[in-house]
Amino acid sequence: MSSSSSSGLTFKLHPLVIVNISDHYTRVKSQMNPPVTSTATTSSSSTTTNNSNGSGDGGVTAVSAAAPPPRVYGCVIGVQRGRIVEIFNSFELLYDPVTHSLDRAFLEKKQELYKKVFPHFYILGWYSTGSDAEEFDMHIHKALMDINESPVYVLLNPLINPAQKDLPVTIYESELHVIDGIPQLIFVRSSYTIETVEAERISVDHVAHLKPSDGGSAATQLAAHLTSIHSAIKMLNSRIRVLHHYLVAMQKGEIPCENSLLRQVSSLLRRLPAIESEKFQDDFLMEYNDTLLITYLAMFTNCSSTMNELVDKFNTAYDRHSRRGGRTAFI
Amino acid sequence: MDPYPSSSSLIAQKTWELENNIITVDTPPASTNSAADASSDSIFYYDETAQAKFQQDRPWVNDPHYFRRVKISALALLKMVVHARSGGTIEVMGLMQGKTDGDAIIVMDAFALPVEGTETRVNAQADAYEYMVDYSQTNKQAGRLENVVGWYHSHPGYGCWLSGIDVSTQMLNQQFQEPFLAVVIDPTRTVSAGKVEIGAFRTYPEGYKPPDDPVSEYQTIPLNKIEDFGVHCKQYYALDITYFKSSLDCHLLDLLWNKYWVNTLSSSPLLGNADYVAGQISDLAEKLEQAENQLAHSRFGPLVAPPQRKKEEESQLAKITRDSAKITVEQVHGLMSQVIKDILFNSIRQSSRPRTEGSGPEPMVES
Repeated sequence: MSSSSSSGLTFKLHPLVIVNISDHYTRVKSQMNPPVTSTATTSSSSTTTNNSNGSGDGGVTAVSAAAPPPRVYGCVIGVQRGRIVEIFNSFELLYDPVTHSLDRAFLEKKQELYKKVFPHFYILGWYSTGSDAEEFDMHIHKALMDINESPVYVLLNPLINPAQKDLPVTIYESELHVIDGIPQLIFVRSSYTIETVEAERISVDHVAHLKPSDGGSAATQLAAHLTSIHSAIKMLNSRIRVLHHYLVAMQKGEIPCENSLLRQVSSLLRRLPAIESEKFQDDFLMEYNDTLLITYLAMFTNCSSTMNELVDKFNTAYDRHSRRGGRTAFI
Repeated sequence: MDPYPSSSSLIAQKTWELENNIITVDTPPASTNSAADASSDSIFYYDETAQAKFQQDRPWVNDPHYFRRVKISALALLKMVVHARSGGTIEVMGLMQGKTDGDAIIVMDAFALPVEGTETRVNAQADAYEYMVDYSQTNKQAGRLENVVGWYHSHPGYGCWLSGIDVSTQMLNQQFQEPFLAVVIDPTRTVSAGKVEIGAFRTYPEGYKPPDDPVSEYQTIPLNKIEDFGVHCKQYYALDITYFKSSLDCHLLDLLWNKYWVNTLSSSPLLGNADYVAGQISDLAEKLEQAENQLAHSRFGPLVAPPQRKKEEESQLAKITRDSAKITVEQVHGLMSQVIKDILFNSIRQSSRPRTEGSGPEPMVES
């Protein structure tokens, strides 16, 4: 159920979808397990109210022991252009786990509403939370097949695992495989990349790192800007080091040579320098000069403003002494 | 960093936290957001009875300045900014859902409205109302129980403030749909400055005089809007905005960074904002001309009467200087990114070609 997909489609996921799913899940979870507060009287008040301080967590888990975190379901929408599937947004769906049926009317209603605001997006698939794709997911998948002939299934694993290094989001596609002579639909994993627009990136950055929201001094702005670039470069550096280490080990013979990997690394290296043409140099220097020009203009404005203030102050000082009229102000 | 913890470093840290609106989660062991545990998700719980009671009490009726803070969830912020940006140069608007908590309004989610933004429109049209009702209904079914608690709209390129139409709309809202909040987002400035430009406002009721002049952060307003801004800027006040996210959000966003750093490095703000910056500079030029005319008149002013100028108001020229400094800073930041990228990816030369620039950091990959 988890071999890699061979459909050749590339998937691009926007962070908004991830935050959407996470919010949906958190909402449903917290409605089901009301938090222990000093005023609320829940069944978990058996844990002595004195330690309601740190046991907010304990209280929740005590209640949630009775109700395991629910699965939430929803639809993902986006655009498909040729081989590239770009998932932009998502919304919730009503699913009855008892009868394993989707609420169709709800889906259509929601789809209509979203069509009005985002006319270019259409339903690309659905999402759910959990740790692995399950049997019944295929039912939902098949149900959506009449809207989109090959829907995608986005699965988010909501369990917080601090040791995890990778995003707990997997994208599955369905493929027709012949198993035991019977053609069956099974889920296959696909890879995806995270795609973003500049505005989305800035707000995700903002929320993730809680950057200073007010203007702050120029120094803090500069620090913030350079810090973000620095951390990005640090990531790049660590990735390259890993590759380097791997290659050195391969050279020493500790790891068997893998030609496909070597080919990929070599093509990567050949991409540097990224751009090297006369035109690029010219454009680059022109941009450089434009920025320097703007700085120059700003300096000029600053100087003339200061000069103006100086003259004003001089005028005021000078005027106080001139008792007789008829004397023009010194300009 | 100080090797031994002293009071000065603690003070410095507190100051930094204060300046940057670091939200300490409201559980008694005040943990910073990076260590948000499951109990911080209590904000996501919608307490129907408490909200209904609050609605009945209506403590805001007697105090026009009652609400002082706004807490926006990560999801709401993301949705609003993306929607505002997708409108391009057209104003877009939408509604926010959430609840109240003492003197804070909490925004949990936002959704867009299919309304074309024009300057003359006061209220959303009838089909937007229908949309609102339908959307709220489906949301309640899907498990989002909060009510509409405000509206947001975008001012692409001209800053976060309430125009005359906005002020009258909000005053109407505050009469009939309390508690209600107005949020303004500027997506163009967000992308240009690299930080989110957002403002939350509530209007004063008609005829109310605010006790003290609120000190708001200075922002540059283009010339064609400055009159609208000036006439109404005393009729509303700004609220403090803080953000919150759930523990799962924290975790996911941390992991997202593993894939995201590519986008940070590859963003080129100079290219994206070229036309906005050009607009800013031409606007600045016009303001400069206007200021020059003003100053030319006052050349003969000192003879007739001393120039009537309030001490607090800065002269036009000083404001222009500030604006130009701001534009320059953004440009320089953009250029820095470009130069860094150039050094990173372009200064590597094949071993056959001679190295032209001997300076600069070592390339990360040996040729």
